[in-house]
Amino acid sequence: MTKSIERMWKDGFVNEANLTAPKINDLYNRKSQNIVDKMQNMFAINIKAIIIGSFIMLIMMSLIGAPFLGLYICCLLLPLISIAKRELKKSFNLSKGQSSYEYLMSFDNWLKSSIEAYSSYYKVFYPLFFLGMATQGIVSNAGGELISLLMKMFPTDILILGLPYYLIAAIAIVTLIMAKYADVLYRWDLNIVYGRQFKKLEELITDMKTLRN
Amino acid sequence: MGSDFYQLYILPFAGIIIKICRAYTNNQEDFEDYYQEVCLQIWRSRDNFNQECEWPTWIYRISLNVCLTYLKRRKSGAKEIISNSLPDEAIDDSKAFASDEINQLYSAIKHLSETDRAIILLYLEEKSYLEIAEIIGSNTNNIGVRIKRIKDRLNKYINQKD
Repeated sequence: MTKSIERMWKDGFVNEANLTAPKINDLYNRKSQNIVDKMQNMFAINIKAIIIGSFIMLIMMSLIGAPFLGLYICCLLLPLISIAKRELKKSFNLSKGQSSYEYLMSFDNWLKSSIEAYSSYYKVFYPLFFLGMATQGIVSNAGGELISLLMKMFPTDILILGLPYYLIAAIAIVTLIMAKYADVLYRWDLNIVYGRQFKKLEELITDMKTLRN
Repeated sequence: MGSDFYQLYILPFAGIIIKICRAYTNNQEDFEDYYQEVCLQIWRSRDNFNQECEWPTWIYRISLNVCLTYLKRRKSGAKEIISNSLPDEAIDDSKAFASDEINQLYSAIKHLSETDRAIILLYLEEKSYLEIAEIIGSNTNNIGVRIKRIKDRLNKYINQKD
């Protein structure tokens, strides 16, 4: 090979006008495949799903005679709407016209802060959600029957709030486990969907950082 | 938005987009998807264009940033992947351009990392080290060294093929 790559490029594109642009179909209604847009869509859908989910929970729980639990779950979901809205708003500051490094870094920073905001809340949400369900279970008729059955099988004099200590202990342990692993669960879930993309972004950023040093 | 924007502000610079998208795709279908996505993002970002740079530079930036963060579906449809991160994927557009030499060069460029592809494309488009550093967001001093290395690798690939 004797020709330089610069010469190959120049000769190959000597008449740039000959390059044929592909046909554009309904461009401005096209669904974006960009990762930032996809994440924005995910947050937007989250907001709608949470609002709808809250109402459904409230109605369903009211129908099965547990309106307070429905209301409680609604209250637990409300901060999620606020987080999703806040993160979505932040994402609109990401301009694709920045330098590649700045663009990838601002995307990465936004992503990390979003994940952090969500996972911090899930650490509270999951245990509180479980506690709400457990409390509703205990005060329900079926729960009362179950507790009576437990007391017959494992009688004890140690009662806390009128409940056998082991039941309280079991609820406390599950609540603690949920609090401890909520963050892991959320990140694991996110990684299943976007893990590959996140890894690729990390590699890109690392490569670009070496160019800056 | 009418098609005027595309006709006036994108189509005259389609060559830039084509050259970049070709370097990040391995087949015609993906190329067309990337091309459309870049056009869409240029249109969506038009209000952010603050004339700190030239319009063609803006197009380079958007094109590269979109190609670097484009999500495409694998043929199975099961998972999305970012950019063309499949090293084992067949490069089947060896006839994408009229010139065999260009096709050969592109085939070599596709063996490079995403960042290196961006750098060499800008270099071949006769952008100065300063411009390349600004578009990529890197240090000007490192660009020269990196280009030297990329060129060596490209020559090696091309010579191997010959």
